[in-house]
Amino acid sequence: MLQYYEPEKDYGTPAVVSTNQVSLSIDGIEVSVPEGTSVMRAAALAGVKVPKLCATDSMEHFGSCRICTVEIAGRKGYPTSCTTLAEEGMAVNTHTPELARLRRNVMELYISDHPLDCLTCPTNGDCELQDTAGEVGLRDVRYGFDGANHLHKEKDTSNPYFTFDPSKCIVCSRCVRACEETQGTFALTIDGRGFDSKVSAGMDEDFLASECVSCGACVKACPTATLTENTIIEHGVPDNSVVTTCAYCGVGCAFKAEVKGNTVVRMTPYKDGKANEGHACVKGRFAFGYATHPDRITQPMIRDSIDDPWQVVTWEQVIDFTAKRLREIQGQHGRNSIGAITSSRCTNEEVYLVQKLVRAGFGNNNVDTCARVCHSPTGFGLKTTLGESAGTQTFASVAKADVIVVMGANPTEAHPVFGSRLKKRLREGAKLIVIDPRSIELVSSPHISASHHLDLRPGTNVAMLNALAHVIVTEGLHDEAFITRRCEEAAFKEWVDFISESGHAPEEAEAMTGVAAAEVRAAARLYASAPNGAIYYGLGVTEHSQGSTAVMGIANLAMLTGNIGREGVGVNPMRGQNNVQGSCDMGSFPHELPGYRHLSDDVTRALFEKEWQVELDPEPGMRIPNMFDAAVDGDFRALYCQGEDVAQSDPNTQHIQAALTALDCLIVQDIFLNETAKFAHVFLPGASFLEKDGTFINAERRISPVRQVMPPLSGKGDWEVTMALANALDCPMDYQHPSQIMDEIARLTPTFTGVSYDKLDKLGSVQWPCNDDAPLGTPTMHVDEFVRGEGFFALTEFVPTDEHANRKFPLLMTTGRILSQYNVGAQTRRTENTRWHEEDVLDIHAHDAQERGIREGDWVGIESRAGNTVMHARISDRVRPGVVYTTFHHPESGANVVTTDNSDWATNCPEYKVTAVQVSKVTQPSNWQARQQQFDQRQQDLLASSREAPEHAGTS
Amino acid sequence: MPAQVEHLVTMANQIALNFGERRNMPLASERAAAHIEKFWTRAMRDQLVKYWQDGGEGLSPAVELLLQQGVSNPA
Repeated sequence: MLQYYEPEKDYGTPAVVSTNQVSLSIDGIEVSVPEGTSVMRAAALAGVKVPKLCATDSMEHFGSCRICTVEIAGRKGYPTSCTTLAEEGMAVNTHTPELARLRRNVMELYISDHPLDCLTCPTNGDCELQDTAGEVGLRDVRYGFDGANHLHKEKDTSNPYFTFDPSKCIVCSRCVRACEETQGTFALTIDGRGFDSKVSAGMDEDFLASECVSCGACVKACPTATLTENTIIEHGVPDNSVVTTCAYCGVGCAFKAEVKGNTVVRMTPYKDGKANEGHACVKGRFAFGYATHPDRITQPMIRDSIDDPWQVVTWEQVIDFTAKRLREIQGQHGRNSIGAITSSRCTNEEVYLVQKLVRAGFGNNNVDTCARVCHSPTGFGLKTTLGESAGTQTFASVAKADVIVVMGANPTEAHPVFGSRLKKRLREGAKLIVIDPRSIELVSSPHISASHHLDLRPGTNVAMLNALAHVIVTEGLHDEAFITRRCEEAAFKEWVDFISESGHAPEEAEAMTGVAAAEVRAAARLYASAPNGAIYYGLGVTEHSQGSTAVMGIANLAMLTGNIGREGVGVNPMRGQNNVQGSCDMGSFPHELPGYRHLSDDVTRALFEKEWQVELDPEPGMRIPNMFDAAVDGDFRALYCQGEDVAQSDPNTQHIQAALTALDCLIVQDIFLNETAKFAHVFLPGASFLEKDGTFINAERRISPVRQVMPPLSGKGDWEVTMALANALDCPMDYQHPSQIMDEIARLTPTFTGVSYDKLDKLGSVQWPCNDDAPLGTPTMHVDEFVRGEGFFALTEFVPTDEHANRKFPLLMTTGRILSQYNVGAQTRRTENTRWHEEDVLDIHAHDAQERGIREGDWVGIESRAGNTVMHARISDRVRPGVVYTTFHHPESGANVVTTDNSDWATNCPEYKVTAVQVSKVTQPSNWQARQQQFDQRQQDLLASSREAPEHAGTS
Repeated sequence: MPAQVEHLVTMANQIALNFGERRNMPLASERAAAHIEKFWTRAMRDQLVKYWQDGGEGLSPAVELLLQQGVSNPA
C-alpha cells in the first residue's frame, strides 16, 4: 500500500531485551522499560522526543553531540540521555529553560561551521540537523561566519550512488559507527583531532578506492546532507513510499521503495523488515535502475526461426501463436514433448501458476526450477534426515550462536546482510570454523578471525564431514540424551558403526582432503562442545556429485550434537535467489506438488484434481538436465522458460546451446533479451519486482510481500501472461489479483493454510509453516519433534567424484559469486555496479601462475573436457595451489563452457565446484567466444531490426 | 549411444553406488530402485530397461539386479 513519505520513528538507542523491567517518569509520564534501556529510548517510548544528533537506534550510544542532555532529579549536571540508563524510580525532565539554553548553544556551534543553503540543499525537508535546529529554537549564530570553517571542502563523487560532501559534516561519527556496527567493514574512521577531525574512507582515499562496499548504511545513518544518494540530489526527496521485498538474493531484505509519482528515487532498507532490520547491500539499496533500463523489452515478439528477425505483435497474437505451437508439437511428438522452467526470481503466485499450467494444461509434470542447479540437494538431504526441505532458523538466530560453521558459503559476498549479522556475532566473541577451499573474507577480516579454516580440496566435502562426525562420536562428544529422545534408534546405531570405522578418522581423511588431522579434530571438538553450534552452508556443499550426501552429513552433525530446535543452532542453507525457496515450495519440482508432496500421494493428488478440475499424471516429469538431453535426442521439443537464463547459468554451455537450438519452440518470459532468449521463438516481456504484487520466500522460509510501485511496462504482470496462456490452452484460470492465487495455495498446502495477504499486511511477513498449529508462523523448526517425527541418521559414504585432476587437466576449478554482481548479471550489469566488477577473472595461486609463466592481467585459456574459454588472470592467495576460481556474471566470459555435466547423484544438481582444468597463457579469445560474439551480434541485430520495423506487427 | 541413455546409465550407477553398493549390494539395489521410481520419468525408466535388455554394457551389478527384479518395468 502507498504510504505518504515520512521518516521512520527513531528511538535513539537500540532496543534491549531483559526479563527485568524498570519504571521511571519522563516529564511526569510514567513508563516501564526493559532494564538496560537508555533514558532517551525510554522517553521515546513514552512519546517524548529528546533532541539528538549523534544517536540513532540502529547503533549503540556514542554521546558526542551533547544535544540530548536531560535533568535527572537528585543528580548534578546535565547527563546525556543516550548514555544514561533508565533506573527504577528515576524522574527525568527533558525540557527545562537551562536545557534549552544549552541545546541552543551547542546547535549554535554546529551551525557556525555549516552551509546555510537549506533551500537548495538536496535533503531539504529530510535533514535531522535542520529539524533539530528547529526543535531547539536556534535563532542566530553569535559567532558569525567569518572564522575558520570547513565550507570549502570538496565533494567526493567517486561512488556512483552517493556523494560525500564534507562541508556539511558535523562529525557525529554515525557513518563510522554504521560501517562498524551495522555493516562490519570498518572502512571509515575519524581522522585528525579537534577542529581538524574529519570522516576518512580507507587510508584517506575516496570512497570508491577504499574498502567501502557501498552498502549505504552510512548514507542512511547520516543526519545531514553530507552523505546523500545521487538520485535524491537529482530528483529531490520522495513523496510516497511502498514497503516491498528485494529481488536479488535469498536474504530477502525488506525495503521502502520511495517514489515520486511512478519513479523510484530511492530504496531504503526497512527498519521493521525481520530479515534485514534496516540494513541492505549495494545491490538492493542502489542497483534498481535495471528495471527502467533502455534494454527492457516491453512488447511481445515472435519468430519462426532464430535466424529470423523478431516480429513485434500484440498480446493476443503472441498468446494465440504460442498456444497453437504448443498443441501442434504435442500432437506431433506426444504429451511429454513439452515442459517449463519456473523462475526463482518471480513471485510465488507466478511460479504456482506455471506449475499449474504444466500439470493441468500441458498434461504432464515436466516442470523444474533453478533450484535444480543450486539447492536441490538441500531438498533431498533435509527431507530425508529432518523431514522438511528448508532451513531451520531465522537469520536473527545467529545472534545466539556460540560456534558458527560456514561451509561452502561466502556470506559476506553472496548474502551480505546476513554476513553483517554473522560478523557482529563473531565480534561479540562467537567462534568461527570455515570449511572452504578458498580463503574467503570471513577467514580473516577486521576484528574477525576464523578459529579454524579447513581448506579442503574441492570434491572432498563428505570425507571432511565424516571425519568431523567420527571425532565427535569416538571421543564421546555427542548429545546422547537428545539423540535418544529425538532420533530413530536403529538408524543411529547403524550410522554409529559406520562413522566409527577407522577409515573415517581425520588421519585417514587427510590424504584426501589435504587438511591436517589435528585441525579437523580441534574443529570437531569446538563445534561439539559449543553450547550453541550453528551450521551455515551454501552451494559449495550442494553443487557436487555428492551434494545430497553432504547435506545429510551436515544434518547428521547437527542432530549428533543436539543443535536443532532452538535459537542459536540449526542447519541453515543459504538459498541464493530471492525466491528460490518459494519456487520449490510452490511445487516446481517435477516429482512433487506444492508443499513437497510426491505425485504418487493419491490423497494430495486428489485434492489438486478437485480444485483444478482435471486428472493429473501421477508419474514424475523431467528435470532440467533431462529436458536438455531429451531435446538433443529429439524427444523434447518445446520449453516455456520463465525468468531463467539457462544458456548462461547452466553447466556445459555448448550442450545447453545444442539443446536450445534443437527445440521447435522456445518461449522465454523475461525482462531483457538474455542469453537464452537469443535461441527463442517467442518472447513474452516480463515485469520486474517493482511492477507487480505478490510474495517472495527467503532462506528463512519467510513469506514477504512484493508490492507494486509502478505499472508493468509491458502492460501485464507475469502472472497475467501465464494466465492468458493457460486459458488459451483450455486450462481455465480466472484470478483477478495475486492474493486470490495465494488463497488457492493456502487452501491446498498444509504449511500455508494460515497465509493471506491480510495477514502479511498485519504482520509484515510470516515464516511457514503458518497454519492452525502456528497461526503467526514458525521461526524455529523441529522444536519438539522433527517434521518426519524422529530424526534420521543417513549413511554418508564418501564416493570420490569422477572429476579428478590429471595430467591433462591438473588444476581444479571452482566457481562462486561476488558482492556487486548478481548471478548471471542480467540486472547488475545494467547498473553502476559494473564499476566494481567489469569482467569475470580467473583467480590463480602465484605458484601455479609462475609454473605457467602467467602474470597478473594476462589472458589465460581455461580448458576442461567440456570446452575452453579465455579470461584475464588475477594472482590470488585466496585459492590454494592446485585450485583456480572464477565467477559467472558476464556471458562473454564463458565460465560454464568449461563446467561439465557431472552432477549430484540424487538430484542432478551440477558439480559446478569441481572441474578439472588446465590453464595456459593465450593471446586470443577461445573459438567458442569468437563464435558466441558473432552469434550475439547477430541476435542483437535481429532484435534491432524488429524494433525498427513496427509495421510487421500483426503479420505472422 | 544417445546422450540421454549414456547419462541414464551414469546416473543409475551413481545412485546405486551412493546407496552403499560396495557395502551391501542387494540393499543398495532395493534403495536405488525406489529412488528411480520416485524421481525418474516413465520414459527414462523405459529407456534404461531397454538398454539393459539390449545388453546393458556398463551397468553396475546393483543396477542390473534391480532391473532383473522387474522394478521399473516398461508400461
